[in-house]
Amino acid sequence: MLQNFRQSMAWVHTWFGLALGFVLIVVFFFGSLSVFDREIDRWAIPASRFEPQPMPSFDKLMRPIFEDMQPLPQARAFTEPLVNGPLPEHFDKVRSWGAYTTHRDPVLTMFAGYEVPNAKDPETTIFAQRTVDPRNGAALPDDRLKVGSSFFYPLHYSLTFYWKDVGYWIVGFAALMMLVALVTGVVMHRKIFRELFTFRPKKTTQRSMLDLHNLTGVVALPFHFFFAFTGLVIFAGIYFPIGHTQLKALHDQHEIHEAAETGLPHDPAGVPAKMASVDAMVVEAQRRWAAKGMAGEVGFLQVQHVNDANGYVSIYRAGTDRIALTGEGIHFKASTGAVLREDPPPTAVGRINEFLTGLHLQHFRHWLLRWMYVMGGLLGCACIATGFLFFVEKRKRQHAKQNSSGARIVDALGVTTLTGMLIAALGMLIANRLLPEVMPEGWPLRGDMERYCFWATWVAAMAHAFWRTAPVAEGQLAPAWREQCLAVAVLAVVAPVLNWITTGDHLLRTIGNGYWPVAGADLFMLTGAVLALLAARKLQRRAESKVTVNTPVMEAGHA
Amino acid sequence: MATASISRLNIVSRTLAAVLGGYAFTWGLIAFGMAAMVAADMEFHDAEHLTALIGFLVFLTIFLTAFGARNITRVWAVLLVGASVMAGAATLIKNLIT
Amino acid sequence: MPDALMLLVALVVTVLGMGWLALSMESHWEQVRGRTTCPPATVKSLRVLGAVALLTSLVLCLMVDSASMASLVWVMSVAGAAVVVAFTLTWRASALAPLVFWTKTQ
Repeated sequence: MLQNFRQSMAWVHTWFGLALGFVLIVVFFFGSLSVFDREIDRWAIPASRFEPQPMPSFDKLMRPIFEDMQPLPQARAFTEPLVNGPLPEHFDKVRSWGAYTTHRDPVLTMFAGYEVPNAKDPETTIFAQRTVDPRNGAALPDDRLKVGSSFFYPLHYSLTFYWKDVGYWIVGFAALMMLVALVTGVVMHRKIFRELFTFRPKKTTQRSMLDLHNLTGVVALPFHFFFAFTGLVIFAGIYFPIGHTQLKALHDQHEIHEAAETGLPHDPAGVPAKMASVDAMVVEAQRRWAAKGMAGEVGFLQVQHVNDANGYVSIYRAGTDRIALTGEGIHFKASTGAVLREDPPPTAVGRINEFLTGLHLQHFRHWLLRWMYVMGGLLGCACIATGFLFFVEKRKRQHAKQNSSGARIVDALGVTTLTGMLIAALGMLIANRLLPEVMPEGWPLRGDMERYCFWATWVAAMAHAFWRTAPVAEGQLAPAWREQCLAVAVLAVVAPVLNWITTGDHLLRTIGNGYWPVAGADLFMLTGAVLALLAARKLQRRAESKVTVNTPVMEAGHA
Repeated sequence: MATASISRLNIVSRTLAAVLGGYAFTWGLIAFGMAAMVAADMEFHDAEHLTALIGFLVFLTIFLTAFGARNITRVWAVLLVGASVMAGAATLIKNLIT
Repeated sequence: MPDALMLLVALVVTVLGMGWLALSMESHWEQVRGRTTCPPATVKSLRVLGAVALLTSLVLCLMVDSASMASLVWVMSVAGAAVVVAFTLTWRASALAPLVFWTKTQ
């Protein structure tokens, strides 16, 4: 396209990197937080601050809860457009039950899927969901938002923009652009090995930003590449739904064939049947896993065709000891408890897929590796942020002379998506501590209020960002950066303090008790506060020194 | 950066080729790959996963080529013809084996 | 040796390895040793030391975890070590002098 291949790749890197960088920094940051999503849940829902538990007795504790669960208003609202006519008050025909827990979850998540009468597609299912304390079956109130696993985590893969899956598509395209940016970045960066350790903060802002951009991009290159790639692989069914569209016939043929081959009935028989003891099935499943040298706890349990003669119970192992997301599923006939099938070892392709998805989804138990993932994610954020800063730094004087506000807009968006994003996350956690336990009549539910606070805080930060970046249009440093860094520093102290005031769990107590989920979250925020304060002080010094010389405009990729 | 030498049309054309052309070609590739592998007795989900892995890497390559190649018309031709031929072949194979 | 300790040793060894590799480069040698040239024999031995250290830390990681986990831990530790070395070179280059204690100063 341009003079030569390298220049063309530099053009792609700059413009597609800039455009999608704003999305990617959000994905990387909330992805980093998602590594400890369940720990953030503990912080946000004090009632769940106890130790992780193994899955409790199905027969004694879980069954009555399953039978009691009904879909919540949100699920009903979602299903309404899929039905001809009104939804029933009470759903009776249950299809499936499921329960899910991990080694990091004190609480147990339970699902029940019901038939929907008069649905346009007869396969439509409506789900009821409940989170319980496995020690006694007590339910967590439905209006509590799991800020980590039900907000920050979905935010990172869908921007919680669910209309027509648009959010998923935006993130998917951004992920592809991440891969593009990595490859084009390598093509552009001529001294990739020689400058591996190079960081020159004392030189011009352009040089030091570029050094940092290259450093954070190159040292974690395999990490960045694999996370973007495996993210795409995980949602391949959304991006290329070929098996449900063009080749649906092949998919359906396979399902029937598989049902016949595995002996797991695809449809209910229509004949009622009582369930045998599921606890006994769990014992047998664990015995079989141990016999294979893969002893473990139950991670996922599912009952298909509940109370039907064709019913079967599938029990999967919680994958904690390896990267690959392997289920080692064992399936039992629900009415008798006989083993119908033990999932065979995966094929070669299956193993590759399990490894790649497991690498991303992190069900393994390895605290050091988790923290290393957070480090990698934050390095990714730093790479993207320094990319923006380099872009603005390189062009702001030029744009000032040409009376263009391009650099100012990019800088404002940079503030919004970097410090603004931090402020929004902290604002949400603070709202979580300040909102009343139950919202008064007529107000949205507590969980919904927390989400509104998140977005409102971010919009406010954006308004501040655009207002306080005016000097960039004159080629100067924007005060917005320093001001938002200070805001981050303050909020990141307020949140742990509020945790102490509202729950009594201050750092001495949580560290003393070894309750790391909450201690870790508080320490992470306090560390962030210190870093934000240091950044603010540095920006203050830079603004005061006002060394505005005619710094030459650098070509990225040159020395 | 010598941007004066690229026309707006060139940029739009290459971007569309990279994004839409790339998507269409990748769809065709995955569809053809899946149908062919299933016809060759590979398990359905294995075929699905393997073609998706290859597909994303191919999409990445197409994207870079759309901006790196000298002649964008040739790129368009390959993408459109390739997408249609492969997608067509996929449906043909599907009809033969279901 | 308990797992946590072995992983800690592995991390330290990775930092040493990246440090040696950095020092085998002229610009970083000068940051630590002043404006001296690094004799070619030393450059070579630094590269070898670096490679051996990285290999050693990989072995240590493999002694703690399964192959798939250990390789990820190792790759990430190399990334982290590179950042540590880069920042040390920038702000306290002299801290890396012990890594080449046997070579002559100016």
